[in-house]
Amino acid sequence: MNNNPIKEKVRTNTILYSKDPRDLSAIAKNIPCQNACPANTNIPGYIRCIYEKRYGRSYDLNRMYNVLPGVLGRICSRPCELMCRHGDSDLGEPVSICYLKRSAADLKSPMHRIKENLYESSGKKVAVIGAGPSGLAAARELSLLGHKVKIFEGNGKHGGMLMYGIPEFRLPRDILNIEVENILRLGIDIEYNAKVGDNITLDSILKKFDSVILTTGCSLPNQMRVEGEDLEGVYNGLEFMKMINDGEKPEIGDKVIIIGDGFTAMDCARAAARLGAKDVKVNMRKTEEFMPIDEKEKFEVKYEKVKFYSLVDTQRIIGENGKVKEIEFLRNRLIDSATASGGRAAEQIENSEFTLEAETVIIAIGQQPDPTSISSKIKTDGNWIKHKKDSFQTSVKKLFAAGDCLTGASNVISAIAAGRKCAHEVDNVLTGKARKDNVVRFEMINSTDRQRSFDFIEKIEIPSLKFQDRFKSRISEVETGYDGNIAYEEAKRCYLCNLKYEIDVSRCIYCSACIDVAPRDCIKMVEKIDLKKDPSGKLIETQDWNKVTGIVIDTSRCIRCGVCYEVCPMDCIYVTKTELIEYDLEG
Amino acid sequence: MSAKDHFIIIGNGPAGNNAAEVLRENDKKARISIISTESFSFYYRHRLKDFISGRIPAEDLVVKHYSEYKDKNIRLRLGQFVEKIDPEKKILYLKHMEKINYTKLIIATGGSPRILPSLTIFQDYLTMFSTYSDTVGLRHRIEKAKEIVVLGGDLTSFSFVKSLVKACKKVSFLLFNDAFWPISLTSEMILKIEENLKSHNVATFFNDSVEMIKKSKSKYTIETKQNNKIKSDIIISLMGMIPNIRFILGSSIDTDRGVLVDAYLRTNFKDIYAAGDCAQIYNPILKNYWVSIGWMNAEEQGKIAALNLLGDSKIIEPPKEEIFEYEGIKVNTSWWKKF
Ligand SMILES: Cc1cc2nc3c(=O)[nH]c(=O)nc-3n(C[C@H](O)[C@H](O)[C@H](O)COP(=O)(O)OP(=O)(O)OC[C@H]3O[C@@H](n4cnc5c(N)ncnc54)[C@H](O)[C@@H]3O)c2cc1C
Ligand SMILES: Cc1cc2nc3c(=O)[nH]c(=O)nc-3n(C[C@H](O)[C@H](O)[C@H](O)COP(=O)(O)OP(=O)(O)OC[C@H]3O[C@@H](n4cnc5c(N)ncnc54)[C@H](O)[C@@H]3O)c2cc1C
Ligand code: SF4
Repeated sequence: MNNNPIKEKVRTNTILYSKDPRDLSAIAKNIPCQNACPANTNIPGYIRCIYEKRYGRSYDLNRMYNVLPGVLGRICSRPCELMCRHGDSDLGEPVSICYLKRSAADLKSPMHRIKENLYESSGKKVAVIGAGPSGLAAARELSLLGHKVKIFEGNGKHGGMLMYGIPEFRLPRDILNIEVENILRLGIDIEYNAKVGDNITLDSILKKFDSVILTTGCSLPNQMRVEGEDLEGVYNGLEFMKMINDGEKPEIGDKVIIIGDGFTAMDCARAAARLGAKDVKVNMRKTEEFMPIDEKEKFEVKYEKVKFYSLVDTQRIIGENGKVKEIEFLRNRLIDSATASGGRAAEQIENSEFTLEAETVIIAIGQQPDPTSISSKIKTDGNWIKHKKDSFQTSVKKLFAAGDCLTGASNVISAIAAGRKCAHEVDNVLTGKARKDNVVRFEMINSTDRQRSFDFIEKIEIPSLKFQDRFKSRISEVETGYDGNIAYEEAKRCYLCNLKYEIDVSRCIYCSACIDVAPRDCIKMVEKIDLKKDPSGKLIETQDWNKVTGIVIDTSRCIRCGVCYEVCPMDCIYVTKTELIEYDLEG
Repeated sequence: MSAKDHFIIIGNGPAGNNAAEVLRENDKKARISIISTESFSFYYRHRLKDFISGRIPAEDLVVKHYSEYKDKNIRLRLGQFVEKIDPEKKILYLKHMEKINYTKLIIATGGSPRILPSLTIFQDYLTMFSTYSDTVGLRHRIEKAKEIVVLGGDLTSFSFVKSLVKACKKVSFLLFNDAFWPISLTSEMILKIEENLKSHNVATFFNDSVEMIKKSKSKYTIETKQNNKIKSDIIISLMGMIPNIRFILGSSIDTDRGVLVDAYLRTNFKDIYAAGDCAQIYNPILKNYWVSIGWMNAEEQGKIAALNLLGDSKIIEPPKEEIFEYEGIKVNTSWWKKF
């Protein structure tokens, strides 16, 4: 990398760097998966490594931005796959980015060498409260930056919801423990059973440390506030999953009703099926379309014979001798709503009540942060921590907050990304300077060995246990993962959107051979390029040959198939590898 | 209605055709188009089983020939797939990149075979059918086959087995009683079914389930939980239907199991209606949503949707008998006896 702080494009042989907002914005548009990843993971980069069978390198690329690749490769909510170009309506299904991430973690050598770029010790001390993904990511980043970190964790084990929420059949604990151990080995201290606001005060920590980061997640379950919520046999989802993850086997009977439609509800339903319940129903207010989980997770739940009941609203839980017996519901209809997700809200239909029998009811309708239990000093808005706009700084001096405790219940990759970003903000405050920035790296390459036939390979689902094998043990991991051959085939599917195909207009003879072979409308006849200083510039297209001033590849439509490159008689198509990299401002 | 109106019906089944007829009877000027993915004209789906087993020719399937549409000035677009609906702009996007404007729309897209989640890993080995094109190749395979396994999870599976027996095939039948569609079978019903099938020389496997399916050359072996090994030239899976609504998802038109409509068959968008197997209707008397899978219901709903589209306010009455609950949704099956 160039040693000088980068102000504009600088040519180093065939490598260029840029901080131009137009280049940064082009990266976001051209590599939709990376842009959708809250941690900005270099997805095409690590997929390409898997294709080259360099699993260790692939793992390292992941770990730079997301410190738990083996974990995330199993349970990530995959915002990247929703945006993957391969999933455009005319192009088939998204690349299995998440399974590939897992395959790098599974297939790397068992004694893989982890490389960390350590900064000199700063002499500053930072406390992190909560050893969930957000706290762990923040602790690791601050440690790398040279600060001495101590984590205060209220529970007896680390991992947060990874340990106490997500069940073992989705995330084996040895995988989690190894990756957490790799973080703690940086010299991070951790004190377990230190519950801030209970057996240790926030003030005492603030006094001893230069900065404190709160990453306490969301631990307060939402209440339904209906009659019967306190009957025996009624659990909240978090409490139920904690019991399961502690190895308890609650008596739940055959008929279990889950109320809620998110991650927690699905895990409760699958855990209930593993406890032997014969009839597990997930009841939701809206419809499957609005469930905040992906299609794969829906499939897995149904595969395990859990039934979905949509458009129902719980009215009351009816008991007999203090124990739950049935639930009364009302049917719902969908109505317009400006505030509800997807623009549709559920509305109860009058006089539509009906009941369903249940021996156990699990209420999993979300959870909220509980900052006031930590300290009354923290200013809140309801249960939400007040903080500076676009910053992690809370109302208390030296106190920052990140992850679910700041944003409300989200997902692991968002929590990790937030922990890391918060660490950078804390580092800025502690050192008085910014030490890292993003930059676009351009590397001219001759071509790619990607073949057009790769575009027609069908998505390969992850091998999983058969139905009956899932229930032999309550913790058997359901997904068994790709082997090297499958990972190679799936990796071939990635278009490598980090490659940018461009036409050198000065050499182009306007033969239109590229347009003729283009697989979709990705090559455009252009009258004018409306260049702006900011990223708002655009191509002005024309169909009239008399007005054409250039033939341009629309990189947001291009699937990097390379057929234009092959067919061009003038060799005027060139390929550049574009990557968003974190740049060390101090050199 | 003015000549500028373009009524489009997606679906060339009984719901779509009845809707088109009513629209034309009441509006001589409007443009009316029916779009269907299938290339075969309107036909009886319940006769497909006899066509597959070689007992009737293709002509006997047809309800209405192409010329009849022409006579009524109804444009029939066959072999065209509606990929997306933009209800705000009132545009349909077809798979072959054509866009069509409509003024009013009836969705009558019926259903497709359901595949049980537990069988998806064997999907490549299973044969399912619900359309004429599904059956054309299948007819030849059945002709050559000696041994056939039917994975029976719906009412069609019983009549299909009988049709195969009449065509002198050796048939094995595996009952999926806990996933049976659309009704829950009682133990008395199961006993009766078993007796009946045995009397037709069908090898029955009840209270058993598929553990593994292996393929060697062109022969399949099904290994069951009770350690039975059943050999077969073809495995036919009949597990009921699910409404064809995938292409609607993301369009802002409300869906659940089917397209959500009120008792007037109106969707959440003015000028868009749904009828037939793809519609899910709320009924205040049942206090529930219901989906009607059946020819006669589809015909009735097609007519009512068309009348309401033209300005009427007709309510679809729920069937009074033979309603079964399937995953929280009432399903009407009274029509099966009428065929
Ligand atoms: C059942 C379930 C399943 C989920 N499945 C998925 C999934 O598949 N994919 C996904 O992406 N996300 C999933 N999520 C969401 C995800 O787990 C969270 O978004 C993520 O863990 C949030 O990370 P965090 O670090 O902000 O908080 P947490 O993971 O909640 O960690 C907070 C930590 O702070 C500690 N703590 C709390 N209060 C104190 C205190 N006063 N003093 C000291 N320590 C304290 C807690 O013990 C805990 O260790 C799931 C959540 C649940 C509940
Ligand atoms: C094997 C079998 C046996 C049956 N036996 C009986 C029986 O004995 N008794 C009985 O009452 N019923 C029976 N049925 C059910 C009966 O045929 C249906 O209930 C009826 O056909 C439903 O009519 P419909 O108009 O709603 O939809 P369908 O007849 O299913 O027609 C749907 C139409 O929509 C089209 N379409 C779907 N998606 C799109 C799209 N995206 N773009 C364009 N076009 C699209 C299809 O091509 C088709 O033309 C049987 C069905 C099958 C498959
Ligand atoms: S094709 Fe590859 S690089 Fe492009 S969006 Fe999908 S995963 Fe990312």
